[in-house]
Amino acid sequence: MRPDEPGVHAPGSATEAGRGHDRPGPRAGADDRPGPSTDPTLNEAYRPMSSRGNSLPWKLLSLTLALALVVSLWTGHRGGQTDRTQGGLAGSISIGLKLPPGNLDIRNQSGTALDQLLIGNVYEGLVARDSDNKVIPGLAKDWEVSADGLEYTFHLNRGMRFSNGHPLDAADVVWSLRELMDRHYQGSEMLRNYRSIDQVGATTVRLRLTRPYQHLLWELSGRAGLVFDHRASYDMKTQAQGSGPYLVETFRPNDSVILKADPHYWGPRKAKTGTIRIRYLADDNAAVNALRSGDVQVLAPITANLAGPFRSDPSFHVQAGDDTDKFVLAMNGKGGATSDIRVRQAIRYAIDHKQLIASRGGADKALGGPIPPLDPGYEDLTGLFPHDPGRARRLLAQAGYGPGRPLRLRLTYANTYGAELGDQLRSQLKAVGIDLDIRMVEFSVWLQDVHANKDYDLSLVDHGESHDFYQWATPTYYYNYDSAKVRQLYDQAMDTVSRERSRDLLAKAARQVSEDAAADWLFNYRITTAWHQGLEGFPVNLNQSLLPLADLTYRKA
Amino acid sequence: MTMARFLLRRLALFILALVAVSVLVFAALRILPGDVASVMAGLNAPPERVTALRQRLGLDRSYPRQYLDWANGLMHGDLGRSLLTDRPVAAQVGERAQVTFPLILCGLAIALVLGIPLGCASALARSPRMQAFSHMAAIVGGAVPALWSGLLFIMLFSKGAGLIGLLPSQGFPVQGWDQPGQALQSLLLPALSTGIIVGAGIMRYTRSLLGDMLSSGYVDMGMACGMTRTQAALRIGLRVASPQLVSVVGLTMAEMITGVMVSENLFALPGLGSMLIADVGNRDLLAVQSELLLLAAFFLLLGLLVDIVHRLIDPRLRDGTRREVAA
Repeated sequence: MRPDEPGVHAPGSATEAGRGHDRPGPRAGADDRPGPSTDPTLNEAYRPMSSRGNSLPWKLLSLTLALALVVSLWTGHRGGQTDRTQGGLAGSISIGLKLPPGNLDIRNQSGTALDQLLIGNVYEGLVARDSDNKVIPGLAKDWEVSADGLEYTFHLNRGMRFSNGHPLDAADVVWSLRELMDRHYQGSEMLRNYRSIDQVGATTVRLRLTRPYQHLLWELSGRAGLVFDHRASYDMKTQAQGSGPYLVETFRPNDSVILKADPHYWGPRKAKTGTIRIRYLADDNAAVNALRSGDVQVLAPITANLAGPFRSDPSFHVQAGDDTDKFVLAMNGKGGATSDIRVRQAIRYAIDHKQLIASRGGADKALGGPIPPLDPGYEDLTGLFPHDPGRARRLLAQAGYGPGRPLRLRLTYANTYGAELGDQLRSQLKAVGIDLDIRMVEFSVWLQDVHANKDYDLSLVDHGESHDFYQWATPTYYYNYDSAKVRQLYDQAMDTVSRERSRDLLAKAARQVSEDAAADWLFNYRITTAWHQGLEGFPVNLNQSLLPLADLTYRKA
Repeated sequence: MTMARFLLRRLALFILALVAVSVLVFAALRILPGDVASVMAGLNAPPERVTALRQRLGLDRSYPRQYLDWANGLMHGDLGRSLLTDRPVAAQVGERAQVTFPLILCGLAIALVLGIPLGCASALARSPRMQAFSHMAAIVGGAVPALWSGLLFIMLFSKGAGLIGLLPSQGFPVQGWDQPGQALQSLLLPALSTGIIVGAGIMRYTRSLLGDMLSSGYVDMGMACGMTRTQAALRIGLRVASPQLVSVVGLTMAEMITGVMVSENLFALPGLGSMLIADVGNRDLLAVQSELLLLAAFFLLLGLLVDIVHRLIDPRLRDGTRREVAA
């Protein structure tokens, strides 16, 4: 049967087509325009006097454009500010940041994006830090340290509570610290010499150490000191319930966060603005457009080079803040050529830091060693390796490299830092006879190749953390730098109870690391922040790792 | 009857292709260096923490085991949970698709509205002015990168930064489609910037298809029956050419899924593109493999849909034979 079916249908469809042909016939006949011939050769020769015959497409085109214009005008009018204002102050503020958190699990997920978003806003620590990187009271209103530096007694505020209504007391503090240490959460490795934490009274806890630790309080102002609700159970990756002035209302991974003021916040830093929208803008140009169009009222960071037009515009304010970000050009201490100190020193002499900083807009500061100005132990070490290509060439010659035997090095770094920096380094090192083979990779590849496997010659990373000198006293760290003297100085600096002595010891250790040319510190990255006039209370210093937003207000001009 | 057979055969192929894609995707992603545990643990993590995380996330299982666990979930309609965000992949994709698919549809609509009439006009044009214009439009439109057209639109029409501040130049309202006006506004510029480029392609296809029709005899036949050349071309030629046009539109739509990623980035839209890039960067492989599988399924479905539409609009295919075509 089946072979016949098409045969049955075919004539049907043919007649349909035939009817289709018939229909327009009369209408075509009624058309009084001079129709073209049915003879193709005549058609070829035929040229109309005007393009009137083809006006249909033009009409369609203009109609489309007109429609598009009307639609865009209409939607354009319907947009606009939806912020309700209360007494002149905006009820909601949008801020633009760069690095988005993938989840909210501050106990397991690394990265400063979470510190920036949550610490001081949603979660609070035993102690806090101010915009000069100094420790200030937090959940603990004051504390005493025993003379031998082994016992810290914290007195907590009274009447504290979490956003879910649970009271926050000494039990929560003890539980949080024990969990941190038992489960090796982020920050636990920073609590050196930890021995125990105990509840002494309803509002008093005592932390004991096996040996003194100079940076303990500072570390407690970060992730290590955060206090969580021991009675609550929630998915920490998608929610955050703390005791801070804000609640996380909406969290979209890698995109945006909405913070709402906690109406029952217990403490002295009540949020001044009801809603804060945080948008993560990865593309620098999109970020600048967002600021200019008012979609965000403040942008941090703004690329210094793109900030120019905002500086001269009176409706904006632009300011660079101090920060602890160090752009570290690590030189593998056990690498092929870089294990030779002369090669490392030559690289440091070859780099023109002033030029690097100028090409980035001039906001950054030169940094000659591993400790930035906001950290204890800072000393200006920029004089140790001034830009001196001649000296670099001589050192390379001593190490056995020259025109006959050129030095080839591989620079591996994450593509988030852009190609420019690598290109500049290549041309600067080229001038002294070093060929730089640049390998830009994803951060995860960098983590595997450089950080875990230490398979690199040179590497470039922005080490943003504060108080991170321990990296130079840890021989297993990816720098492959091992100096007994530095380790000893660092240990002494941590063991001493005197802050001044600790600072001096750290400065000595930092100078040693710098003299050994264990790395080159390209610059101290200073974050440039730009905001609309009328916005107040946005932290300018350290705002990529610490961004308390409680005082933020916006009064539209 | 034949349609049912056709559908069954295509469905079987569809499933087979999906299985093959799943194996390929799984294997390809395992070749990538780096893993999510070290990304989560960060720069200062002691190796023990990375090991512990790897264990907790189930990354210490053997690859065949991981694949089977994943496939097992898939068969139960479970795409799994992102290792990083701990949210279901389906929800994550759904959220992002709310931006990307409307963007693709808007772009495609703009492309069709521009491309098909202009293509027809171009094929039928006899005035040198119209011909020159349509040639120029096709060449310029096709040669412009989406990045450039996007920047141009931002400079012209964006609020704040543009000459005529009409539309937002970046971002998507946080409330999403609960604010349809704002959501649509934020998609207009990116849709335009991809739409005109895709439209130029569609215009070229339409022109050449209709050009072929003009010399194919169908149009002569129509004109012999008393139609004008334009009428014959549009009513008969376009209809005969429509199956091919549908294929082109289907392919174009598939291409646009990756094509709009540039615009998404430029206009800071939280679409599928930025999600994939972020997830690959974080080595959230479980999420990436499910996302890629979904995209592959979408491509395959689109192909299936195009084939079905072919059968519906082309009577020559409807009954499973093509013998009249020659006649």
